[in-house]
Amino acid sequence: MTYDRKDIANLADEYVLGLTESATAAEIEEIMERDPELKAAIAASRERFLPLDIAVTPATVNESLWDRIDSTLPAQNVASETPVATVANDNSRKGWKIAALSSIAAACLLAIGLGYSLTRTSDPLVIAVLINEAGEVQAVVEDFGNERATVRLLADFAVPNDKTMEVWTLPSREMGPVSLGLLNGVRSARLDRRPLPSPRDNQLYEITLEQAGGSPTGRPTGPVLAKGLAKLPR
Amino acid sequence: MRSGRDDLDKALAACAKGDRLALRRIFDQEAGRMVAVAQRIVRRRDLAEEVVQEAFIRIWTHAHQYREDCGSARGWIYAIVRNRALNLLRDSRREHSVEEVETLQETEQADAIMAAWHRLDRQSRLHECLGSLDETKRHGILMAYVGGYSHGEIAGRLRIPLGTAKSWIRRGLLTLRECMA
Repeated sequence: MTYDRKDIANLADEYVLGLTESATAAEIEEIMERDPELKAAIAASRERFLPLDIAVTPATVNESLWDRIDSTLPAQNVASETPVATVANDNSRKGWKIAALSSIAAACLLAIGLGYSLTRTSDPLVIAVLINEAGEVQAVVEDFGNERATVRLLADFAVPNDKTMEVWTLPSREMGPVSLGLLNGVRSARLDRRPLPSPRDNQLYEITLEQAGGSPTGRPTGPVLAKGLAKLPR
Repeated sequence: MRSGRDDLDKALAACAKGDRLALRRIFDQEAGRMVAVAQRIVRRRDLAEEVVQEAFIRIWTHAHQYREDCGSARGWIYAIVRNRALNLLRDSRREHSVEEVETLQETEQADAIMAAWHRLDRQSRLHECLGSLDETKRHGILMAYVGGYSHGEIAGRLRIPLGTAKSWIRRGLLTLRECMA
């Protein structure tokens, strides 16, 4: 999604009013984490319209609503106090930020990603080059957006017998991380992704180490082996 | 509102540390309004409660992400409710036929939108600036924010072409920003 800097205020207002389509709204939520001006405009817009919510006649609320909330409340993971804008799980550590910020790594990634895609007849919608905490290239994910994604491993992974590698993506913050599938053994694979929103520029992809059979929760639980943000082939 | 605002800040910080009583304090203070705000958008009370239930879970799991650059704590909390409600509404638009949505307690909805306008604090800047817009623009903006109407629905209700509705709302929002700056 592209937008003119001068349209930010209107974009923010329309988003806050709920006038943006759900796909665009999800994109805005993602982009605002990288665009402080957009984020500030959205915060300002929310504050402008908030009096309309605060002035509402409160509904009478039954204790049973609280009981339902209380019974579904997950345990708080107190250790994860530092949020990182675009990670799909709580494996955030300082090393990842450094790796992600390394422009040398990023340049390499693009080069590899592009060279790889040129040899294909059908082009992927996005390519994500996944790096490890040290910033070394580990794998390439190509997402074709049509329930098909491929993973090419570019490094050796030590996977214990009772573990498996699982590939994830973060289509939107609302949706949360979604599994693209398991890698059987340590080898490149073609994944049958379930229907998801079309992959976007800067969408997060990652591989985690999960117990055999895949994550028991449907969300990444194990350590992140590699991750990276998708790029649109230019 | 000032004192309530600081309380919510503190309550969110306590939630992030795993204090369930802090979430309960937010519930006691805001749940009634949260349900009412959600119900204006999703129409049905049971769906509104579902929205608020999900919103509280999200407040709990994301409290550690709240920062002042996200705006006020109250704004952050209501943004979560509104997002959940709007998502549910968008999903149901896809599932139901147009007619069903059209007739979904339409009169109540119109009343709720007018009530939001009439209950708005007359001393507030928002009241003054919304009041300075011509009626159609004001109404369009209120229909969107309060009732979760789409551009198309607003155009239909106001009996104006879609492009006109879009540009009126866009201009209304611009005037509003300038007035409130």
